[in-house]
Amino acid sequence: MSRANTTSKPARGFRVPGLSLRRREAIEAWLMTSPTIIGFAIFFLGPLIAVMVYSMAEWNLLSRKMTFVGLANYTDALTVNADFWQVMGNSVIFAAGLVPLNMALALALALCLSRPFFGVVFFRTIFFAPVVTSAVAWAIVWKFLLQGEAGAVNQMLASVGIDGPNWLREPDWAMAAVIVTRVIKMVGLNMILYIAALQTIPRDYEEAARLEGATHWQVFKMVIWPLLAPTTLIIMVITTIGSFKVFDHIYLMTGGGPENGTLVLAFYIYQQAFEFFEVGYASALAIIMFVIVLALTLVQFALRRKQVR
Amino acid sequence: MTTKQWRTLNRVLWTVSLLIAAVPFVFPFLWMLSSGFKSASEIFGQPSLIPTVWHWENFVEVFQYQPFARQYFNSVYIALSVTGLTLIIASLAGYALARLRFAGAGLLMLFLVSALMVPEEVTIVPNFFLIRWMGLTDTHLPLILLPVFGPHGVMATFLMRQYFVALPKELEEAGRMDGLTTLGVWWKIALPMSRPALAAVAIITFLFSWNLFLEPLVFLSSLELFTLPLALSNFTDPYGAPLWHLQLAATSLAVLPILAVYIIAQRQIVESFAMSGVKG
Amino acid sequence: MKTTLMSCAAACALALGAMGSATAEDLRFTVWTGNDAHLAMLNGIAESFTETHPDVTVSFETIPAGDYTQKLTFQIAGGNTPDLGWMFEDAAPAFIDAGVIENVGPALKAMDGYDFADFSAPAMKLWVDGDAVYGIPFSTSPFMIYYNKTMFDAAGLEDPLALAAKGEWDMDAFRAAAKTLAENGSWGFDFKDGEGYDSRILHALMPPIRAYGGYAWKDGDCGFDNPEAIEAVTVLHDMVFKDKSIVPPGESGDFFSGGSAMTINQISRASRLTDAGFEWGIAPLPTGPAGESPVIGQAGIVVFAEGDQKELATEFLAHMTNAQNVEIMAQFFPPARKSVLESGVLVEANERIPADQMENVADAIENGSVLPSSKNMPQILAALKPRSDALWRPDADVTKALGAICAAIQPQL
Repeated sequence: MSRANTTSKPARGFRVPGLSLRRREAIEAWLMTSPTIIGFAIFFLGPLIAVMVYSMAEWNLLSRKMTFVGLANYTDALTVNADFWQVMGNSVIFAAGLVPLNMALALALALCLSRPFFGVVFFRTIFFAPVVTSAVAWAIVWKFLLQGEAGAVNQMLASVGIDGPNWLREPDWAMAAVIVTRVIKMVGLNMILYIAALQTIPRDYEEAARLEGATHWQVFKMVIWPLLAPTTLIIMVITTIGSFKVFDHIYLMTGGGPENGTLVLAFYIYQQAFEFFEVGYASALAIIMFVIVLALTLVQFALRRKQVR
Repeated sequence: MTTKQWRTLNRVLWTVSLLIAAVPFVFPFLWMLSSGFKSASEIFGQPSLIPTVWHWENFVEVFQYQPFARQYFNSVYIALSVTGLTLIIASLAGYALARLRFAGAGLLMLFLVSALMVPEEVTIVPNFFLIRWMGLTDTHLPLILLPVFGPHGVMATFLMRQYFVALPKELEEAGRMDGLTTLGVWWKIALPMSRPALAAVAIITFLFSWNLFLEPLVFLSSLELFTLPLALSNFTDPYGAPLWHLQLAATSLAVLPILAVYIIAQRQIVESFAMSGVKG
Repeated sequence: MKTTLMSCAAACALALGAMGSATAEDLRFTVWTGNDAHLAMLNGIAESFTETHPDVTVSFETIPAGDYTQKLTFQIAGGNTPDLGWMFEDAAPAFIDAGVIENVGPALKAMDGYDFADFSAPAMKLWVDGDAVYGIPFSTSPFMIYYNKTMFDAAGLEDPLALAAKGEWDMDAFRAAAKTLAENGSWGFDFKDGEGYDSRILHALMPPIRAYGGYAWKDGDCGFDNPEAIEAVTVLHDMVFKDKSIVPPGESGDFFSGGSAMTINQISRASRLTDAGFEWGIAPLPTGPAGESPVIGQAGIVVFAEGDQKELATEFLAHMTNAQNVEIMAQFFPPARKSVLESGVLVEANERIPADQMENVADAIENGSVLPSSKNMPQILAALKPRSDALWRPDADVTKALGAICAAIQPQL
């Protein structure tokens, strides 16, 4: 601020003399973020610390018996419990299948629906409908459609000569079915994010490229995709984190089966906490999940930094 | 074929393909709506979209079974409160994180992001004890406080931050030169410019609060205080088996407002997500 | 004189009022129904309690059935234990083992006119342990066979009810009927509520296993790998995969929509048949080499050990489960009291099911046995499910699969 400009009004508010601009900014910043920070501390940080404490105890919510066991829950999960690694594997497979499929489909839909044309609003709503359909209704319908014999999916496959598997009763196919149905249900959200991002890309860039004779694919690869990179990163992070937390969809579709083939970590944690009431063990599992997801997130951010360079 | 004919053919093919692709998306939704009109025995027969007999009385029975209208109202006002509070708090913090430089900003953001990574099945236990200690069980307050200040609030803060970062600084600097404090700039300049982002956060937050199940289950006891997801799971016979015709009719009623809001605000959402500078 | 009388009356009124508010008490009772009709009935019973206990109010708190046990656990853990509550049969042993349920045996047995012996012994099996009584079942509902009479007639078969009357309704007849009916277009038999593979696994296996004289577990011994159980499950397995008469895993054939000719369920499901497009009836379970063996599903009322009004709660429990009120509840919940069963109230109370079929229901309550129970039920079911998935494959070796089941659940028994 130029002192020579005598018509400017002095700054209101923090008129404490001697406080530098930087200091003032810092105080204002902390004040403005204080509701978020205080609320976060009470309703998340506190409970998180509590969860870490619980994770070091054997605590049954029903019997109220609590005994401190140090890291026993962790060693139990990682070394003794045979189920844990199967569950971990399922979670990783689920995420690895869901995230690329979701993002690719979201992008494809967004590319189709980002330019205005007659009926675009209608279609955007249709592809968003699953997001607001109740999880229960969604599972009922898909379980019906995926029947081994009478299901519509297999009947359609049969009409082209393919013998479809009993989708929800074969461990591997069940995982595929659960992933695909989850993607269809949630892709509408990412689609909207991509549509918005696409709309900020100035048309001139695309036009210029096209004038130079680029094909659709080249335009996409050279112009659109790079400009979408930041969006892609955020969506990937959120979708990855979300895919590790999916529980109710799997619970309703397969109950974790068949043969625990779709038992993912979030489901396992639910079982421990809400069916067996073993809060201590569930807390340890949650902390393990937290560490893994945090690691994955940091990796994704690091990769992006590398890309930018 | 002329270019015009080619273009029309193209458009028709495009539309038809989209319609075919849309079938798996919209079929369950339509089934859910039509099942509300079916009798209990018909629902699990062939999944037809047209009921053989239109049981309009299902919808009447929904309101007679439990204080459904009251529960509907609960969900609405809680969602509106959560949305309103989140918008204010998230935009305040988001603006600070975007514009003001202060020590610890990076670390703070890392802390906040980590909130998204812990499943709520586990944090609900200590939260339950906390709310109990505060004496707030069987009230709606925890249903408002937890979404606003919990992981979802954090995500909202980040969205707002991204948007503010993308805003051109000139207007704000002009405001400063006019003598406004940071708060003044926020209120008079940044917020009005960020209406699309606010709309986006509003939609997601409303949807999030509308669908909450675990928190109401754990904190509420009185039937009149229930919110919709809880009320929906309560349409059961004395043995706990769901009364599907009632549950699906009620679910259809519960879904329509959100869909209506989405359709209306769709324009805003798209623009706002664009402006939310999700470019990082 | 008048003023003296008036002031006397006022003083008396005040005194009475003070006494009233000093003794006003409120009992909190958790249930899983929010249905107006049920609550009206329950509130009626609470009203009649005030005849002997004025100034006591009972408030019924609804917790959705699907999360009832979880929510109750949270309440207890949070120090907000209700005074009484309904309890699912599969959760009761864990709660009893955790010590959160009050032993009401001594109090109830000592009560005048309560007539504890009136309760059918098999029905009480789940709730008593020696002399201790941990709860009173308010609903004792046997598993019955629902059959589609229209389909049976069309196939020229005698329906199960007629066969049962002649004593010919056994597992062989069941298998033959299912096969014939399946050949006629629809499925022959659907497991309870269309489940039996992902959930309700015990509901699917227990009736035949019991008919063949087997058991699930007893005193820490797993019964699934015993010859009787193997025989029973093999019959079921063949019906699913060889005869193709039972709805196989991954398919649906809902009885109530006309998708299958028979199913097994409790009488409460008759409400799904109000506008069924076919004639139907209810028959007893098919007998097996071990004779008749009805299976009962239950729910009970318990008093919580950490409530602060246990005596009053126990008195209300006694009131709610006395003969008079059990009769009132019989309109919704089949009773466990022999006197009420024999009075014919149950048989007449049901509007959808004719009296002769309800007789079989009453018989089953008196003679049936409850489903297997354990304090580790959730863990057992979690261990059971994947092994059950392995059993229900077309190429499974039934003996081996059952052995694997036993190996998996043994640590929990």
